[in-house]
Amino acid sequence: MSDLNKSIGQAINRIDGLLKVTGAATYATDYVLKNTVHAVIFKSTIAAGKIKDIETGEAEKAPGVLAVITHKNAPKLNEKGGVRGGALLQSQNIEWYGQHIGLVVAETFEQARYATRLIKVSYEKAEPKVDFEKHKKEAIAPKDNHDAIRGDVDTAFGNAEFKIEAVYETPIEHHNPMETHSTIAFWEGDKVTLYNGSQIVNGAQGAAASTLGIPSANVRIVTPFIGGGFGSKGGQWANLVLAAVAAKAVNRPVKLALTRQQMFNSVGLRQRNHQRMRLAATKDGKLTVLAHETTTHCAIDNEFVEPCGDCSKVMYEVPNSLISYRVVPMNIIIPTYTRGPGKSTGSFALESAIDELAYQLRMDPIEFRLKNEPAKDPSNGKQWSSRTTVQCLQEGAKAFGWGKRKIEPRQNQQGEYLIGYGVACGTYPARQQNSSAIVKLTRKGNDVKATIELAASDLGTGTNTIIAQTASDALGLAVNKITVKIGDSSLPPAAGSVGSVGAASFSNAVNDACEKITDELMKKSTKQFFVRPTVANLMVSENLTAFETRADAKAPADATNYSSHSFNANFAEVWVNSLTGMVKVKRFLAVTGAGKILNPKTARSQIIGGNVWGIGMALTEESILDPRWGNFVTRSLADYHVPSNLDIGTIDTIFIDEKDTIPNKLGVKGIGEVGIVGVAAAVANAIFNATGKRVRDLPITPDKLL
Amino acid sequence: MRPFKYSASTTINSAAQLLSANPNARILAGGTNILDLMKEDVERPDELVDINRLNLSVVKPITEGVNKGGISIGGLGKNAETANHPLIRQNFPLLTQAILAGASAQIRNMATNGGNLNQRTRCPYFYEVSMPCNKREPGTGCGAREGINRMHAIFGWSESCVAVHPSDMCVALAALDAVVKVQGSSGKVRSIPFAEYHRLPGEMPEKDNTLQHGEVVTSIEIPKNNFASKSYYLKVRDRASYAFALVSVAAAIEMNGSGIKQAWLALGGVAHKPWRAFEAERFLAGKAATADNFRQAAEMEMKQAKALEHNGFKIELGTRAIVLALTRAMNGGTA
Ligand SMILES: Cc1cc2nc3c(=O)[nH]c(=O)nc-3n(C[C@H](O)[C@H](O)[C@H](O)COP(=O)(O)OP(=O)(O)OC[C@H]3O[C@@H](n4cnc5c(N)ncnc54)[C@H](O)[C@@H]3O)c2cc1C
Repeated sequence: MSDLNKSIGQAINRIDGLLKVTGAATYATDYVLKNTVHAVIFKSTIAAGKIKDIETGEAEKAPGVLAVITHKNAPKLNEKGGVRGGALLQSQNIEWYGQHIGLVVAETFEQARYATRLIKVSYEKAEPKVDFEKHKKEAIAPKDNHDAIRGDVDTAFGNAEFKIEAVYETPIEHHNPMETHSTIAFWEGDKVTLYNGSQIVNGAQGAAASTLGIPSANVRIVTPFIGGGFGSKGGQWANLVLAAVAAKAVNRPVKLALTRQQMFNSVGLRQRNHQRMRLAATKDGKLTVLAHETTTHCAIDNEFVEPCGDCSKVMYEVPNSLISYRVVPMNIIIPTYTRGPGKSTGSFALESAIDELAYQLRMDPIEFRLKNEPAKDPSNGKQWSSRTTVQCLQEGAKAFGWGKRKIEPRQNQQGEYLIGYGVACGTYPARQQNSSAIVKLTRKGNDVKATIELAASDLGTGTNTIIAQTASDALGLAVNKITVKIGDSSLPPAAGSVGSVGAASFSNAVNDACEKITDELMKKSTKQFFVRPTVANLMVSENLTAFETRADAKAPADATNYSSHSFNANFAEVWVNSLTGMVKVKRFLAVTGAGKILNPKTARSQIIGGNVWGIGMALTEESILDPRWGNFVTRSLADYHVPSNLDIGTIDTIFIDEKDTIPNKLGVKGIGEVGIVGVAAAVANAIFNATGKRVRDLPITPDKLL
Repeated sequence: MRPFKYSASTTINSAAQLLSANPNARILAGGTNILDLMKEDVERPDELVDINRLNLSVVKPITEGVNKGGISIGGLGKNAETANHPLIRQNFPLLTQAILAGASAQIRNMATNGGNLNQRTRCPYFYEVSMPCNKREPGTGCGAREGINRMHAIFGWSESCVAVHPSDMCVALAALDAVVKVQGSSGKVRSIPFAEYHRLPGEMPEKDNTLQHGEVVTSIEIPKNNFASKSYYLKVRDRASYAFALVSVAAAIEMNGSGIKQAWLALGGVAHKPWRAFEAERFLAGKAATADNFRQAAEMEMKQAKALEHNGFKIELGTRAIVLALTRAMNGGTA
């Protein structure tokens, strides 16, 4: 429970909330630099082959145009420098539809965009591999992802009395953050500053430097605010570097903002997953087999695999298990980490299959899960640092009114609506990554203030706020005495806002730095202390006007001896219109055990956000490719449906009160991803309970329920 | 976007003249469609004639002519204002429901009635200039015919175009037997019955409707009817708001004692124009308002439907939607 004298655990408002609602928060393209000009990218209109020629003459003569850059005149860049997916204008090769093939720089955005229409490209076309249905049988075992096998799946499955075998399909999805990927680049001598939304500040710095072939110290990334990323701003994309190339070419600051349509083939995607599940259980509900085989596509020259089997590795005690991946390289832009990578999509398959098997046993799906709770992490035999699945299920069942649910489907009808309840669990690993932080104290009279500096990033989740809260407690200063400076590679290096490591890594680094500065001040003092003094007392008593220190924080040494995860249980009540097939999620409850909750308000928003994305995954989100040409026919937010307000009923969140300081000193496990894990399955399970229809391919649009 | 000339006109006449003088000029009303299309290079006018200063936004009772007793809505009236106008809410709740089922609050605040009638299809092949599309570039072929066509037509399509008209408002106006008033540079006003305003693609999918270049939609007249208490607009879509219809139905019933005197039915999301379900209407006239009759009427209409590769579900969905819309209309127009 929260301590009223502490800021951590209090539901305080975002410290940057006012900046955001007044529009004063500066996102990448909000910086106004004198003489800025605009770059607009143009793209391939084939998915495979070579550029024969690009005619740029007419574009070069168009009003306002300063430069046209293509593979013919682009500077040599290091294609292995860390920019994901390439598209750096280094060759004529085309590997996907909509690959960048050039850019125009002009005085205004409209002039640049117009000039891109005047470019004429001729191609040598090759037969593109874009139809996953057709090519999935060519999938091969990836080099870095070996099959994880325990026991003997085939024999046990063959002999089992209760079993299910089914394929679950999830479509291509796009991240679609509100802020499209955008960069402003400007050079001062041989140094370049890049304003660019980056989830991993130092990662962006390193990738830009190495791709451009200049020292890291010559690249500065500035990203104090990010308009969402969902994984797409974790890796670096060509826009970051091409803006720098363009700025160099015209010797002026260049702004390069992708359009929404361009987002669909510029910054990665979540690939389609074909997940074959085999589950078996004894009559009394003990799981005997869990096989989770994922087939998916990857880029032509990169075997990225979304770890769909991760939940299946750790959620249940089962003697015979197989987790495997097969990939087929295709002419589709490189997949990348997306909202709960592997866990959100994998849990759809796993938790749907668990529900199917529970129904076959005519057993309550919560009871079924409780019977198969693993005492240790089944994938590696390590002790859990803590595991809250049972509490999440039990507290959730009570709060949700799960007892009212009937095991048989179609038992609850009101007018034309069929009502159903579904449950599904989820998990996400908890880790602390290396991060450094500087604390700077200043004093005027008795007024002591602190500035916290580290190259962390805030995706919009509340990182700034939890850093201030952490510092407030560790320094004994009020939150409004603390200034947080993040999102700048010139600050001490830090982990990224990715993989749910941000909160744990940043808060522990800041806490360490604040404890360290207190210790150092105490050491300076000749006084004896019986209670630990605040930094304000110390600054006054030592008559200091400024003092600073830096800490380099790491996870506790024995953290890796344990298995540490956040866990959740999701409960959904759906109303399915039995005539039109339209589904409304009337009520949703997510119960989450994620260690110390630094700020219940921003944490709740995080979980709700994850839940809404999960409902979108279940019901609406899908990117559709034309299987002939490889272009997306869904290329705006009018076609790519994320849930609207009207699709979402009430969402409740409960956090399990949990103290686990094994993964890190503050006991923070991270909530960035877990909010989406298990959600799609909870909705799909509820739809089964409502209608008796098991839909195994997402999204569950009305036509699938007719 | 391509450079273009901007002209603002203050009278219908000057607007019509500016348009007539330049075959590449287009009207700019709310801009929610034409500007998007210009940014994507789909529409390439070299002149926009801004009509926002014309005085064409009033909603008023019609006091003379064939539609006397009905209500006229201005061609420049905003969709939101039209939907929420007391005269419309009272007399044509079907129109209110249909307009409010479309787009988003922000877009409806900008969008005009004339713009709604003349908005272009949302077919993705039309929208992407690197794709073949006979509507955008006659002779290039139809990308959707053998492509992704889940959102496309089941009625009245041709080999050259399978696109659908995206409007919700127009589906209600079709059922309401509205009349479109247009005026050209000669100053002459034409009246076009709603069913004849939009057209089927045939061999000329580049023409969405029968408006001639140089003409301005000045108003839409909606005749008086007796079914305000028995009408319903049903929109089935992939999400609850802000999505185009998979299938939509505007249904209205006038009763004669216990039997149906006449029914009005129009479907959206199924054809290149709002699809008046005349077959079903004919069947229902004089019948009892039963679920069974609704179903038979719906099935009869759907017999003419021809599905493409991905939209076969629209036939069953359309059948059910007709039944449901008629049922809700009978129940007083509430869900
Ligand atoms: C994301 C999105 C979602 C949408 N969803 C829906 C939906 O669900 N249902 C729906 O019905 N609509 C939907 N719309 C479409 C919206 O209703 C139209 O964009 C709007 O009605 C167009 O009106 P406007 O005044 O902005 O037209 P403009 O963009 O100004 O013009 C559109 C066309 O009409 C012509 N035009 C305009 N006024 C006249 C006139 N008086 N006489 C002759 N020609 C004229 C123009 O020249 C142009 O060709 C959506 C739009 C968007 C962007």
